[in-house]
Amino acid sequence: MSMISTSYSLRRRMLVRSALLLLIVFVLLSIGAWHYAKQAANYSYDRLLRSASLSMLEGVHVTGANVDIDIPYASFEMMQLSSEDKVFYRVQGPQGNFITGYENFPLPNQSLGKERTLFYDANYLSEHIRVVMQRKWLSEPEVSGWVSVYLGQTLNARDQMRNDILVRSLATLLGIMLLVLFVLWWSINRALEPLSTISKSLFTQTSFSETPLDKTSIQEVAPLVDAINEYQTRLASNLDGMKTFIADASHQIRTVQSATQAQLDIASQSQDLSQLPAHLGRIREEHLRLTRLTNQLLSHAMVVHRGDTRIVEDVNMESLVKQLLTECVRDYAHTEIEFSYHCDGRIGSVQGDWIALKEAFRNLLENSLVYGPAKNQIDVSLTQEAGHVNVIIDDQGPGIPQTQREQAVQRFKRLTTRKEGSGLGLAIVSSVVESHEGRFFLEDSPLGGLRARVQLRVGES
Amino acid sequence: MRYYFIGLWIVFSSALFAAPKSNSNALDIYSATDLRAIKPLLDDYRARHPDVQVNYHEFNTLQLYQTIKKLSLDQQPDVVISSSMDLQVRLVNDGYAQPIKDSALEALPDWAKWRNEAVGFTYEPIVFVYNKQAFKGKTIPRTHESLALSMRSNDAFYTHKVGSYDVRRSALGYLIATQDEVASSISGRLQESLGRTITQVYCCTSQILDDIASNKLVLGYNMLGSYSLARAKHDPRIGVVIPEDYTLVVSRVAYISKAAKHVENARSFVHYLISKHGQQVMADKSELIALYPSLDPLTDRLLSIKQTINFHPIPLGPALMVYLDQSKKKRFIRSWENALSPSKQ
Repeated sequence: MSMISTSYSLRRRMLVRSALLLLIVFVLLSIGAWHYAKQAANYSYDRLLRSASLSMLEGVHVTGANVDIDIPYASFEMMQLSSEDKVFYRVQGPQGNFITGYENFPLPNQSLGKERTLFYDANYLSEHIRVVMQRKWLSEPEVSGWVSVYLGQTLNARDQMRNDILVRSLATLLGIMLLVLFVLWWSINRALEPLSTISKSLFTQTSFSETPLDKTSIQEVAPLVDAINEYQTRLASNLDGMKTFIADASHQIRTVQSATQAQLDIASQSQDLSQLPAHLGRIREEHLRLTRLTNQLLSHAMVVHRGDTRIVEDVNMESLVKQLLTECVRDYAHTEIEFSYHCDGRIGSVQGDWIALKEAFRNLLENSLVYGPAKNQIDVSLTQEAGHVNVIIDDQGPGIPQTQREQAVQRFKRLTTRKEGSGLGLAIVSSVVESHEGRFFLEDSPLGGLRARVQLRVGES
Repeated sequence: MRYYFIGLWIVFSSALFAAPKSNSNALDIYSATDLRAIKPLLDDYRARHPDVQVNYHEFNTLQLYQTIKKLSLDQQPDVVISSSMDLQVRLVNDGYAQPIKDSALEALPDWAKWRNEAVGFTYEPIVFVYNKQAFKGKTIPRTHESLALSMRSNDAFYTHKVGSYDVRRSALGYLIATQDEVASSISGRLQESLGRTITQVYCCTSQILDDIASNKLVLGYNMLGSYSLARAKHDPRIGVVIPEDYTLVVSRVAYISKAAKHVENARSFVHYLISKHGQQVMADKSELIALYPSLDPLTDRLLSIKQTINFHPIPLGPALMVYLDQSKKKRFIRSWENALSPSKQ
């Protein structure tokens, strides 16, 4: 298991992130709404201002060289549509001469071209105002030039309209956002519901039970349920195996122990001292069996554990086999057993666990040694073909009949009761090979005995 | 012109020796309202605020406007009151007023307030006033239309015997005359009739009422209803007609100066004017007509016959400034002079 950093709630994280996203969207839309509201208000009231100024311009008339204006009442009534705003104006003759209105009315700072209408902002009598300049060209015999009407209005109505639009659109926007957030909250909860259902049903199983979780109709959740169920099945079968193993192992140990005990009893009650060496010999034999059994049990446990933890490194098969042989030859130097070793060309390395592999081959060798005759020939050879390494161990022992070979690789299945075998040796080999995804064959040996062949994949596993 | 020296200066305070201008708890009111008409209100206000020294300065409408325009910022009074709604609007427009933050404003009809700065607090219909003696046995004209007809057919009866405001000297007269033009199409014909009968023009309501009472005039045209009705109540020689086709309604407008030195007092006074209590006092004791119809027996009476009378309150707003335009005013006065060819300047 890897370290869990800090724990967090998926629901809260999803909600907080969506809320943040929504907030950003809200802010962006609000800025947009503000611009829109401002534009809309300006647009509406500029039109009002323009109509009023056009209506004022209607009142301009010329008598001789004299330009005068009779302001239509309607033009100001129009202005009164924005009822809370002040109104300022100035009418100016062709020479820029003041005709009527507010004499020091603020004029635009830009120079005018040919345009008849111009809007600008100004300050007048400590008020912000929006001004329209509207003019018409006079071409009378005695006067010609632009007559301009400047009409200004304070911004109350505009600001109010802008705020109105803004408040309304923000309220709508906020409503939508809240709705979206609610829907998100609901759907996140809905989406995470199967998780809590699964954990609840797992929690309610007080001890380990083999009842699988109920199948779900939600497609996204089905793989999880399947995975949990499959895991449960495997765990159950492992547990079963473990139980059987413990039962078998304890049976084996007790048998050997009671045999040793029996020999010890016989030896201690024997009056005949001349029989003592014979008794001791049998006790030693039983003890050897016990030792071997214990070793194999431990090594089996180790191999299984290492297989579970999947240790992977580059294993050079040549040096592994050579090292193993060296140890064996040293241990059996005093016997009549012959060892031979040969290797075809270069052997690639195998991805795997050095210790487990060595243990497996040690067991194969020991099998040949234990079950073989006193004068035995053991050949170890390494070959490589098509991406596979074959480790072959031949002996001149009795071999295993074709029909019993499958049985032989199971745990605690000894085919003879004669020797000090535990029945674990081939099972260990089998599980190591299995965990390395290799194959294990028991065949007839050209030497007359049994050939054990282990096939492993070369290179990346 | 030294108009503001003409204005009466009355100090409503027992402490006559105290320098009124420097008093920190004073209230300076510049008003174009007869002191006689507004006195009950001032008395009542003073009774409720004994610590406030109320300085009331009376002007006529035009004087008041010119005075305000002439005074520097630090010389401005606290409250300015005038029935000349157009000039008040112009003063507010030109930035002489400050907003009145008062929830009582919400109860006012829309036409009686502008920008929360100008506040109308009376309801004064524009009426015909006649001499009862002179009209004995004659049909009293009850509409503008019938007045125009009557004047046309009775030249001898009306000639030199009709009085009205001099629009050049009375700002209120100017307002009424211009609004007559805005409100009705008959005003041109009426003006013509008024001209043919050589209408006498006056500066002030009271003088016209005096001349009607003394039978020097038989009819006053476009008279301020508040003063006329008050006079008619005590003077049996005078009758008042509220025209049935349309009746302009003028409201006396108050605003608080932007540069008011006693803002709190000014607010409390304006609040008093539009408060239920102030309106009640106005209805019961003063010559002014309260804005709230339910309070004033007169307006109550007026409203009960509303089916036949078309009240036309003049709304406060920038439109009132149109006739204040220099060119427009010149033009209007020229045509008025042409029509009335007034004998009396």
